[in-house]
Amino acid sequence: MSDTIIHTRKLSYSYKNASQVKVALRDVSLEIERGSCVAIIGVTGSGKSTLMQHFNGLLKPDAGEVWVDGMRVGARGVDMRQLRRRVGMLFQFPESQLFASTIFADVAFGPQRMGYAHREVRTKVMTALELVGLPFHLYARRSPFELSGGQKRRIALAGVLAMSPQVLILDEPTVGLDAQGRDELYGCLQRIRQEQGGTVILVSHDMAEVASLANRLFVLHQGSLVMQGTPQEVFSRSEELRSWGLAAPPLHELLALLRKQGVPVPPEVFTLDEVYSWFYEYSCLSRQI
Amino acid sequence: MQRYESDVPLISFQHVAYAYPASQAGQESVPVLRGVDLHIGQGEYVILLGHNGSGKSTLARHCNALLLPDSGDVLVGGQNTRDVRALREIREQVGMIFQNPDSQIIATIVEDDVAWSLIMRGLPAKQVRVRVEEMMEAVGITHLRKLPPHKLSGGQRQRVAIAGVLALRPRCIIADEATSMLDPLSRQEINQLLHQLHEVYGLTIIQVTHLLEEAALAQRVIVMEQGRVLLDDTPTKIFADLPRLRALNLLIPEPLELAERLRAAGMPLDPEAITLESIARALNS
Repeated sequence: MSDTIIHTRKLSYSYKNASQVKVALRDVSLEIERGSCVAIIGVTGSGKSTLMQHFNGLLKPDAGEVWVDGMRVGARGVDMRQLRRRVGMLFQFPESQLFASTIFADVAFGPQRMGYAHREVRTKVMTALELVGLPFHLYARRSPFELSGGQKRRIALAGVLAMSPQVLILDEPTVGLDAQGRDELYGCLQRIRQEQGGTVILVSHDMAEVASLANRLFVLHQGSLVMQGTPQEVFSRSEELRSWGLAAPPLHELLALLRKQGVPVPPEVFTLDEVYSWFYEYSCLSRQI
Repeated sequence: MQRYESDVPLISFQHVAYAYPASQAGQESVPVLRGVDLHIGQGEYVILLGHNGSGKSTLARHCNALLLPDSGDVLVGGQNTRDVRALREIREQVGMIFQNPDSQIIATIVEDDVAWSLIMRGLPAKQVRVRVEEMMEAVGITHLRKLPPHKLSGGQRQRVAIAGVLALRPRCIIADEATSMLDPLSRQEINQLLHQLHEVYGLTIIQVTHLLEEAALAQRVIVMEQGRVLLDDTPTKIFADLPRLRALNLLIPEPLELAERLRAAGMPLDPEAITLESIARALNS
């Protein structure tokens, strides 16, 4: 069996108040492999955030189990602080949570609260800033508020990384960033996975982003896990995706359109480079005929 | 079809400059618009394109006097936005929707929210009812009328916001990144709705975005860079120079990139093909 870092078994959860019960997750069973990058996709209200909040113990299952790195979430005797150290979470628009007057103080806040000695805190801040591509010696003393939007977001990410999590959960990490800001953030994620062997869980509406970053996708619809697979497998089923209010990335919408019109694009053609090569050969062939 | 008359622009910018005031003493204020001259006619569908910080949202906020220029003038229907007496009329003529619909939804159920601005304006109840019906119909939310906004999806809430703005019968709607928080299908729906309002009611639409997909569907694209209008042309002309857009830090959709590379490799693809459907057609011919 492969090395699983997170798995859930028949996980169910409902939000309750005095008058209503709203089912948010139904019997979700999934496995996430250590060191992989997975994405959770689904429309607003499909249960993505609820699922994520189980991974670091912000919510506890009503029924079923959630296991993170050998710990059962919500079980008696499990140290939730331990759990939250292992699972770092970057919320939407995290730059709005920056508060300190220097970048150092902001990034150091987490490790300081965790009780690390001054020297360790410093090392952690250094490593984290290095990972997000904002070198310590240039940025530590500056105010986070004089940076660009993309840089601020990376400072917020550094604040999470400074707690050395093994799993990083990112909720819509690139919304509102321009092309450069996106590329920089993608670069960070790459380094985190390669240098730290970290597991990345991505929640995103941007299907092109999901297609290029994730090894595996989980599709949620009304609280149920309705599909999982590689981006290639999932995005080839564009009809089903549409029925859940989702769409394949623009390039794959284009391919679906062409297949419908009778162009024989094979299913294994997936990345932009592959599509380009295939069309190039296809047009050469059809010109010869 | 309504066409705009070029001699009477709906919105005109004359040498407009603007800087956000310094937040702390000792800091310098940051210039955001540096001399913008621009005319937008009645019935146009205009996309304001640019990366973060290019000044596109600041420009949009000058169109209905949410911001006033430091120097230069903005005229809406011939009236200066500095003129306090014209303020109400200007705001009624040019309505605005934002990234997050929750920032302009006030009432506890949908139909009350659409009625809100009309009641505030003191319209007779009967007239309010007629207009609310009409607007809910126009944006397709009649079946949701009794629901509280928090029960709606993001796309539905954005429709409610649009209906609320439409109720005042504006000549122009500005959509400031109004699709960026939505999932892909809701985004398509809102874009379709804006186009429909443009075609059916002859509304002027100014859509602020950083997405080229959205720009492909407009009549006119204005590209902002460092507080200036850098390009102002049809989407086809603007998309003909993808390297330039890339240099401006804009994200190029993969289908466009594919078409560009195939053209460079000598495939005779129609240069007018900039939407998914037209690229598919070009590839298949």
